[in-house]
Amino acid sequence: MAQVTLKALNKTWDDAVAVQDMDIAIEDGEFVAILGPSGCGKSTTLFMLAGIYLPTGGEILFDGTCVNEVEARHRNVGIVFQSYALYPNMTVLQNILFPTRFQNLPDADKRAREMAEMVQISDLLDRRPSQLSGGQQQRVALARALIKRPNLLLLDEPLSNLDATLRLTMRAEIRRITRDLGVTTILVTHDQLEATTMADRVVCMNKGRIEQVGRAEDLYLRPDTLFVAGFIGSPPMNLITLPHPALEAMQSARTFGLRPEALRAAETGLPAQVTHVEPMGREVLTTAQTPLGAMRFLEATTQPRWQAGDDLHLTYAQDDAILFDETGARIPNATARMTEQTHA
Amino acid sequence: MTDWSALARRSIRARRLRFGALSVFLAAISIPIAVPYIWMVMIAFTSRRGMAETGTLWPALIVIVAGLCSYGAALLWLKRERLAIVAGVAVALVLGLVLLGGDLHLQNFRFMVNPNIIEDLQGQGTVGGQFPWVWEAFANSLILAGTQTVIVVTVSTLAAYYLSRFSFRGRSAFLQSLLVLQAFPAITLVIPIFLIVFWVGLLNTLYAPILVLTALELPFFIFLMKGFFDAVPWDIEMSAMTDGASRRQAFWMVVLPQVRVGMIAIGVFAFIKGWEEYVFVNGLRTGNSYWVMSTYLYYVREDVMGVDYGMVAAVAVLYVLPALVLYLFCQKYLTQMTLGGVKG
Repeated sequence: MAQVTLKALNKTWDDAVAVQDMDIAIEDGEFVAILGPSGCGKSTTLFMLAGIYLPTGGEILFDGTCVNEVEARHRNVGIVFQSYALYPNMTVLQNILFPTRFQNLPDADKRAREMAEMVQISDLLDRRPSQLSGGQQQRVALARALIKRPNLLLLDEPLSNLDATLRLTMRAEIRRITRDLGVTTILVTHDQLEATTMADRVVCMNKGRIEQVGRAEDLYLRPDTLFVAGFIGSPPMNLITLPHPALEAMQSARTFGLRPEALRAAETGLPAQVTHVEPMGREVLTTAQTPLGAMRFLEATTQPRWQAGDDLHLTYAQDDAILFDETGARIPNATARMTEQTHA
Repeated sequence: MTDWSALARRSIRARRLRFGALSVFLAAISIPIAVPYIWMVMIAFTSRRGMAETGTLWPALIVIVAGLCSYGAALLWLKRERLAIVAGVAVALVLGLVLLGGDLHLQNFRFMVNPNIIEDLQGQGTVGGQFPWVWEAFANSLILAGTQTVIVVTVSTLAAYYLSRFSFRGRSAFLQSLLVLQAFPAITLVIPIFLIVFWVGLLNTLYAPILVLTALELPFFIFLMKGFFDAVPWDIEMSAMTDGASRRQAFWMVVLPQVRVGMIAIGVFAFIKGWEEYVFVNGLRTGNSYWVMSTYLYYVREDVMGVDYGMVAAVAVLYVLPALVLYLFCQKYLTQMTLGGVKG
């Protein structure tokens, strides 16, 4: 188990910057998710942590010691790939035992069986990877990554090849296992649900840079940047470019953001006409045309209250609005009001 | 009203007709390929006065056709592949014994036990005692083909791995030149190669054809092997390295087992290439410094033709046998060749 620190970490390929000035400190036993769109540098970061890529600048510290030049095989890091990367020429048991072949472990076999027990694949040990389902392969990959009791467990999009129900169980399962073992874990994903449900802290990345680090609710309720605001949350935040005739806001504000659940129908407020109704199970997402443009709002109901063409008024609490300046940074404690003529 | 059953009957009839026509067509085009081999074997086992015994050639075809027909019929009735093969072989054996039993003999293979067969047939003077025992040529052919195969498989595997996994200056030019080299007929190089071999001092040694053939075959096999390596995912290698393997161990333990099919395939091709080689074997010796099977067969035909047709056929049978056995054993791997494929 280890404390992991990245200091001004950089990775550039021939002409492209993959990771830029990344600073983060991860506590011993913490579960951190690196979240971002594809190509944001999250996998590059992961491979640098594993020792597969060499950083071009900055430092990776395990428990305060720089490991930049330590080879992958000596870092004692376990990794689970999106493709699981099981060795097709070996049985499940041989796969799990593989990492122990490079160490002198007298109880390797016993430990492998414990691992198999933990991930619930004890009855599959003699099979080949090709005879397993995706979820089973995933469990084998997890057991293999954990058998050497790694300092650090890295998960690279581990759930994206599973179907929806399996993803739900594996999410809980992985969380349970990492918590039981107390292993420091870094999960790389583009799926915000995966990140927010599993991780203690979420690192949101974009274009090689960290946009925000924090707990899931911090990122959701108080996004530091416009990117985080737009990336996190499904359905996404309503974003309106400022200045806008229908809104009164401070001079420096360039974007006005409002979560769909912050809007609600009322007697007075923003006049709106429903264009689109999408029942989503527990809630209904409605899109309406307003003087601000198309706005989405969520209502916690199973039964749609509106249908296309309905006229209504929308309102929101002042505190729920978020404003961003021209650099995309959030302006703290700022708010915007609707101008008089939009109020009906 | 549509008459569904009439339509179904018509479709069944059309399908049977198509299948029948296809079978007849395939059988017809395979006759000119298969018959010479069948007759070669028949001549080797039945020729008595040195001439082709036409009396046995047609019955031989009858035996084979009867065997194939009973295989087909058994397959249709019993629907069991194994039983059908047994039935086909049994019919062919019984019919063969009845029709040809009296004509079969091994006289033509006496060159295998008599080291001086040519001298005995032609008299010492004509060949000057230069003709070797067939096993000497056989052994040389084995050495030539075997050594060459080992070198080709080793070098092309290592080179292809490097080409597949590493980027270096001139990589794409190298890959293109691999293909361009294939465009030149090797035979255009006979004279320059002869000169080089002469200056290097390898003329009239087996080293010359071994090295020359290896060099000529390598480009294509490297290219082929690269396709196999390209099909092995990176993840697996990276996984092995984080599991504690060095790059070399990862190559041996994880990557190599997955290109085994490719290695076997190019091994078979390289062996057969070396086994059948005539041009460079004959072109790189002056006089009778070394004999291989192809030159042995050629000179048996030159010197014994008109005397013993049967023996020429018998030598040919011995010559074909190793390649045939190799093919039969490796057929399973050769048909998997497409797994690797050829990618640029």
